Amino acid sequence: MEKPKIAMYWCASCGGCEEATVDLAEKILDLTSLADIVFWPVALDFKEEDVEKLPDGSITASLINGGVRMTEHEHMVKLLRKKSKIVVAYGACSAWGGVPGLLNLYGEEELFSRVYREIPTVENPEKVTPQRSIKVDDVELKLPDVLPRLLPIDRVIEVDYYVPGCPPTPEVTWKAVEALLSGTLPPKGSVIGASEKSLCDECPLNETKPDKVLIQDLKRPHQVIPDPEKCLLTQGMLCLGPATRGGCQALCVKARMPCTGCFGPLDRVTDYGAKAASFVASIVDFQDEESIEKVMDRLPDPVGTFYRYTLASSSLGGRARRNKT
Amino acid sequence: MSEQFEPKIALFACNWCTYAAMDLAGTSRMKYPPNFRVIKVMCSGRVDPQFILEAFRDGADGVLVAGCHPGDCHYTEGNYKALRRMALLKRMLETLGIEKERLRLEWISAAEAARFVKVAHEMVEQIKALGPLQLSVQVRV
Amino acid sequence: MTEEPRVGVFVCHCGMNIASTVDVKKVVEYARTLPNVADAKEYVFMCSAPGQDLIKEDVKKCNLNRVVVAACSPGMHEATFRASIVEAGLNPYLLEMANIREQCSWVQLDKQKATEVAKDLIRMAVAKARLLEPLEELRVGVEPTSLVLGGGVAGLRASLDLAERGYKLHLVEKLPTLGGKAARLGKLAHVDIRGADLVGSLTRAAASNSNIRIHVNSELVDLEGSVGTFKAKIRTAPRFVDEKCTLCGECFRVCPIEVPNEYEFGVSKRKAIYLPFKEAYPPIPVIDPEACTRCGECVKVCEPGAVFLDQKGTEVDVAAGAITLATGFEPYEPPEGEYGYKRSEKVLTLFQLERLLDEDGPTGGELKLGGSTPRSLAFIMCVGSLGTTEKAHPYCSRMCCASSLKNMLRIKDRYPETEIYAIYKDIRTYGRGDEELYEKTAERLVKYVRFEESPKVNLHSDKVDIEVYDTTLQEDLLIPVDAVVLAVGMSPSADMDKVRAIVKTGCSPEGFIREAHLKLRPVEAPADGIFLAGSVTSPKNIVESVMAGGASAAKVATLFANKEVRIEPIIAEATEEICSGCAICIAMCPYGAITRKEKGEKMVAKVDKALCKACGTCVAACPSGAMQQSGFKDIQVMAQVAALTERRGG
Repeated sequence: MEKPKIAMYWCASCGGCEEATVDLAEKILDLTSLADIVFWPVALDFKEEDVEKLPDGSITASLINGGVRMTEHEHMVKLLRKKSKIVVAYGACSAWGGVPGLLNLYGEEELFSRVYREIPTVENPEKVTPQRSIKVDDVELKLPDVLPRLLPIDRVIEVDYYVPGCPPTPEVTWKAVEALLSGTLPPKGSVIGASEKSLCDECPLNETKPDKVLIQDLKRPHQVIPDPEKCLLTQGMLCLGPATRGGCQALCVKARMPCTGCFGPLDRVTDYGAKAASFVASIVDFQDEESIEKVMDRLPDPVGTFYRYTLASSSLGGRARRNKT
Repeated sequence: MSEQFEPKIALFACNWCTYAAMDLAGTSRMKYPPNFRVIKVMCSGRVDPQFILEAFRDGADGVLVAGCHPGDCHYTEGNYKALRRMALLKRMLETLGIEKERLRLEWISAAEAARFVKVAHEMVEQIKALGPLQLSVQVRV
Repeated sequence: MTEEPRVGVFVCHCGMNIASTVDVKKVVEYARTLPNVADAKEYVFMCSAPGQDLIKEDVKKCNLNRVVVAACSPGMHEATFRASIVEAGLNPYLLEMANIREQCSWVQLDKQKATEVAKDLIRMAVAKARLLEPLEELRVGVEPTSLVLGGGVAGLRASLDLAERGYKLHLVEKLPTLGGKAARLGKLAHVDIRGADLVGSLTRAAASNSNIRIHVNSELVDLEGSVGTFKAKIRTAPRFVDEKCTLCGECFRVCPIEVPNEYEFGVSKRKAIYLPFKEAYPPIPVIDPEACTRCGECVKVCEPGAVFLDQKGTEVDVAAGAITLATGFEPYEPPEGEYGYKRSEKVLTLFQLERLLDEDGPTGGELKLGGSTPRSLAFIMCVGSLGTTEKAHPYCSRMCCASSLKNMLRIKDRYPETEIYAIYKDIRTYGRGDEELYEKTAERLVKYVRFEESPKVNLHSDKVDIEVYDTTLQEDLLIPVDAVVLAVGMSPSADMDKVRAIVKTGCSPEGFIREAHLKLRPVEAPADGIFLAGSVTSPKNIVESVMAGGASAAKVATLFANKEVRIEPIIAEATEEICSGCAICIAMCPYGAITRKEKGEKMVAKVDKALCKACGTCVAACPSGAMQQSGFKDIQVMAQVAALTERRGG
């Protein structure tokens, strides 16, 4: 019997998700013995036309990481959707836009100007910016266009499953692969490989919390040496564990770094950043405006903090784009 | 614009104070602009920032969250939590390109029908001056 | 939800109230276009019998499983329509109302705009209705035992009324004796009986009533639960003397320690071992643990062996269905120097005067200040009230005018030559018989001087000068008197914050405990099961305090007579499969309704259904969406929000 086919592709991505797959270590061999990888640009030599040649729906599962930012990404995810039975949004960027999703706070002109001209360490006296096309020896070379915003892939194609993480851990990845190859999958649209509960469920410090979790200050990681035996949130560190899906085995917290939310929201939450901001604001232990504002002043970039991985998938998707009337 | 802009303002009203004040305004036949759409909650402490972002996303030009005066909450402290959440959300709205004046937090007790009417008029004028929000919203596939 | 929602929309005309402004026909037509709306109807008065029948028939005919009624405020008829749909075979919580009267037709002038508002509100109601779920009302049995905090006139009246009704109760008093402030007043106005004797009659009745268990020297230290199911912890401090005492008085004689006697408002001293006053109940001495040096002299002289210096306090847990707060007030304490207070023995408060005039008081009823009887006295009225000085309360303390005038007459009776001035911001003799008091004082030549600006009291070695601008004469006066009586008002008691924190009630702007409604529910706190009696809510005289005590007892009796309390099931619940036990919700709940409970090796949040008051604050804070409020779930509210415009909703 033919082995199931698996494809992996990267859109606007840092490469970390590819590394996470490589991090499967020896299990990669299990993967290759269980399935045929028919497309994996970072590691294998298959080209786009090889994918086009495949019959529609013949790829058992495509794992796509990275968000859709360029027209090329849009094209490829649509192609892979056509050719696949199952499409998996693998990693925070494809699931919710990830960290690159924060670019949605800026317009294209703003971004290009900042990156290529304004940053003090950029040496660009001629103020060159990337062009869409260039003529070289009478041949027109074109680069893919930038889309107005970075999108999670489910805003472009139908997505069957999500594997959370920035990147997903090897354990989560393997669990997801097993589920995909086993054929017994949860309802479409589910998150696979991870927990149904927030990080606190698997965090060893959860039981150290007092009855009432309330904070009077917010500290950045460099401002405190945390007691490793006490919940980091109760020590004033901004740990987003309560709002973040578990499954990563609390790696960051075990290294005394507060969770930044890379496993994204739980199922019932529609806007991660709003929910995270809600719980953090709720536990600020002051009733008067002045004291409340003082605590919030300690958080210079709330949007960046609470929407670090999920801005592109949030209610507004980024900086509100207003229709011109 | 040929048509006068009529803002649509989502109003999260707490059952015991603001909703009662609005009912009192009605019984007293007071008049206020037709721009508010009420979503009743038991307490302003129920108002989740997700609701507010959803309201803006779904066409609201402004959002008013109204509850009992501090110290008077029917459930003793719910309004203080609302205060904290709105304080943080307002900061985030600025970065997200929505003028923070579009989100307003008011304390209106059950007896303050006149105050509600005043706030209503003020807020409609303010949102009219800011103009329509008109977000271009990406629809899911 | 397994079944497809089939929503019926019923739009009421309310006579002309809605129909004259909202185009009901257009609204009904519009409702029919909304997804999942199986039928839409209109009627003149939906709350009437035929109106309700229309709903019931339509439910059956069109197989409706959700109902939207667009009419008046839910405050008016939500209960009516809930009962209607129950008769039609639906769960009462499958109803959603759209307020198109109080919040639409009555507040809009433009008919077209009003109709648009109505359409939007109905669209939003339908959006929520689609997602409504059946809910079961909770019933909690009421423990027919009361806890009354405070053994003054209000608390005693409340206790007696309840006990006579057949209900058991615990009467808890902070001091080592019952009686409160009224027991420390001399002859009262109008009834010619000493405060201690008046209160004594109530105390004796309470002591002999088997339904009343009295705890003196005791405080409420913890309160859990809610109406019907309170669990109270009462801590009784050690008295160090037991009932073997024969009141021989030897211990008083030998005790070396003397401290100001708070039962005499500081006018005289008492020993560290003392009997609060003659009519104290229980009539057993007590040792003040802060003054006592444990020298043991009292133990040595006690023949019956009634003194135990190492006695420990006790705690008892009590189940109660209702709590009555009757913790009273404190006399306003002027800051030192205000009107010369505490700077001279010639300046005293109204309460101190009561002690001096009481024939059982420290001077045997003789008005002696610093060894001599004053030949002239000035009563400065409204001390601590009406905003007369910096620390004064803005309100009128009600009881001080009648009390002061009564005392002026008593002084005139006993010392007819005394010159008395009444220097006042206002005279409020509103009670029965009080105006006659006022006229009598005028007949006895009490001189009334009205001020706007507070008088200045100048103390000299043997005299007191009062400078005041008399607004009636429009002249500056300089009044020389031998002594000054400050008619102090009522302040909230000092441990008000402590009581409030334990009982979890709100306070009024003046710092007293807030009642549920000033006029319609004056003896109930907003929280169910907590009742209020006496000056704990605002200044009151004895008449008013006793009335309040009786009224609160009637309210408690009503609660107990119903035997159970119904709880609206719109409460919060944490889904155990999603809850990680992160504990964020616990600090959100002012009722302590949420705890973390162990589920296997992990922890999850658990909401006590009887304690949850359905505010939803924990739901908005829940970072994972595990906590939801029935009837106000995230998806339900979001659907309502999404239906704001026709863009996505409806």
